[in-house]
Amino acid sequence: MKSLAMVALTIREAIMRGTLLFYFAVGNIIIVIVAYAIGLSPDGSTIHVFGNPVVIKNVIDLNPVDFILIHLFRSSNFAIMFLGIFAVAGLIPSMLEKGTAELYLSKPFSRTSLLFSRSLGATTGVALNILYFGIAIWLVVGIRVGVWHWKFLLACLLAGVAFTFYFSVVVITGLITRSQGFSIMLAFLFWFLSGALAGRESGLYRLWDNVVYHRVLDGLFYATPQVSGMLENAARVIGNNPFDRMLGPQAVTDFTIMPFVYSLLSATLIFALAAYYFSKQDY
Amino acid sequence: MSLVQTYLLSKTFRSGLFRRSRVEALRNVSLAVERGEIFGLLGPNGAGKTTFVKILLSITLPTSGEAQILEKSLGSVAVRERSGYLPENHRYPSFLTGMQTLLFFGRLHGLGGQKLKDRAQSLLELVGLRDWAKVKIKRYSKGMLQRLGMAQALLNDPELLFLDEPTDGVDPVGRKEIRDLLKELRARGTTIFLNSHLLSEVEAISDRVAILNKGEVLKVGTVAEMTAHHLEYEIRTDKPLSDSVTQAISRITREVRPDGTILHVAVNEKNDLNGILDILRAEGIFVESMTPKRSSLEDYFIEVIRSGEAT
Repeated sequence: MKSLAMVALTIREAIMRGTLLFYFAVGNIIIVIVAYAIGLSPDGSTIHVFGNPVVIKNVIDLNPVDFILIHLFRSSNFAIMFLGIFAVAGLIPSMLEKGTAELYLSKPFSRTSLLFSRSLGATTGVALNILYFGIAIWLVVGIRVGVWHWKFLLACLLAGVAFTFYFSVVVITGLITRSQGFSIMLAFLFWFLSGALAGRESGLYRLWDNVVYHRVLDGLFYATPQVSGMLENAARVIGNNPFDRMLGPQAVTDFTIMPFVYSLLSATLIFALAAYYFSKQDY
Repeated sequence: MSLVQTYLLSKTFRSGLFRRSRVEALRNVSLAVERGEIFGLLGPNGAGKTTFVKILLSITLPTSGEAQILEKSLGSVAVRERSGYLPENHRYPSFLTGMQTLLFFGRLHGLGGQKLKDRAQSLLELVGLRDWAKVKIKRYSKGMLQRLGMAQALLNDPELLFLDEPTDGVDPVGRKEIRDLLKELRARGTTIFLNSHLLSEVEAISDRVAILNKGEVLKVGTVAEMTAHHLEYEIRTDKPLSDSVTQAISRITREVRPDGTILHVAVNEKNDLNGILDILRAEGIFVESMTPKRSSLEDYFIEVIRSGEAT
């Protein structure tokens, strides 16, 4: 009951700030563009995008709908995460503002529950937007092309999960800095760090040929949510990813659940650290 | 048993690079608040009043010391279940109406259903905001927000009520209403801990008062004890005293100052008052009243703060 009240208030606060509505509006614009752009040729044999037939050359086992949805999903990823963070990153610092923190902390509600329900409210707001976007695109493609691509819905669900794990970084930075601006900046910095850590063997390792340095990078990779790995694998759920073929014949191109498992563990650890830190602070 | 009992409670805030900068907000504060009383904590800005209350409610953590509140240790959720708090400079979600605000905070107290709605309605009536129940609080004035804060603090019908500057921004009529409300709550058995720098307000309603300065308790006592001058009295007579009578009285007192039918005297011991009465009776002067001389709490407060700073 107490947690539910806080979750509901957090979602409402995100909507009232306008940032979540902006996120919703951007999603709707993409949905409208997709609805306008995608369609079948008059004879129903070819899929058209903006009136041009979709032709896939040199890619085996890739159907045009997979191709379009993978492109759409990958290009939307940045918007999903960027706007998602922008929409709700301020909700943790706002809870800690003078005059607000005292009201919440004086109630018979543990700090861990307060932090958890606040985070749940924030991620629920974004996850609902992602799901809405996914379902709308799924319906548009189904109605316009006649293909009901269930795996796209699953990929969107996984993107929502990825955002939830990613949000743990925002929670701890928001608690420490107590600043919306700083927590957004640090969240994006982490995004790029996450990408660099995922590709560390071909990038960061080369900066310094030192075993300790390499192990530290490995540790960081496994101790933090693997944002790029999760989104990459979510895209693989949709179908064969044509971009994976660029990585060479040795590259892993099949879907793996492991980035989600590691991210669940690291997000849990980060959240536990955040809860501990929160429990030791004065407000 | 005291409802609030603190033992050598201290709080040091650290800040700056490597947390080397230290501010001692509270220093070995030991206080007791009895059940059913209004206890006023007085002090200049930065004295540590708010920090003290925040520690009792576990919003701020003490550096050292212990406390028992409602027979529970510091940090117990039960303390917050049975107490209400009106913080200074409180901020409510501005997109909620007055009623929605009370329903939300009521749910955080674990209340719900029709019982909560009825409670919220009656509290809005009590603080004079019934007609504003459905108006978003971003349109409320400072005084209205303060009244809403009072209602919020009373949602769970608390045994112990902490109020930090409750009349801040409230007009004189509203202040009177809040004072009356606090007296009514005391009559119903609620213990009230009042933080304020408005001395006249504290003087008007508090049973006991503590003066805090620079984190240290300088004085604790009843308002009467604090405002009474030591062995100084005002004697009202039915007629002015002659010089001979004044001289006779001056022989057994430290100081005598006649002022028409009022005689200001300072005695060495209480027993000297009987001697004064004997002299007056012998002269056929009727004594209408004899009262200990009092100053305002404000005078006493300034005196204590200045003497505390001088030492």
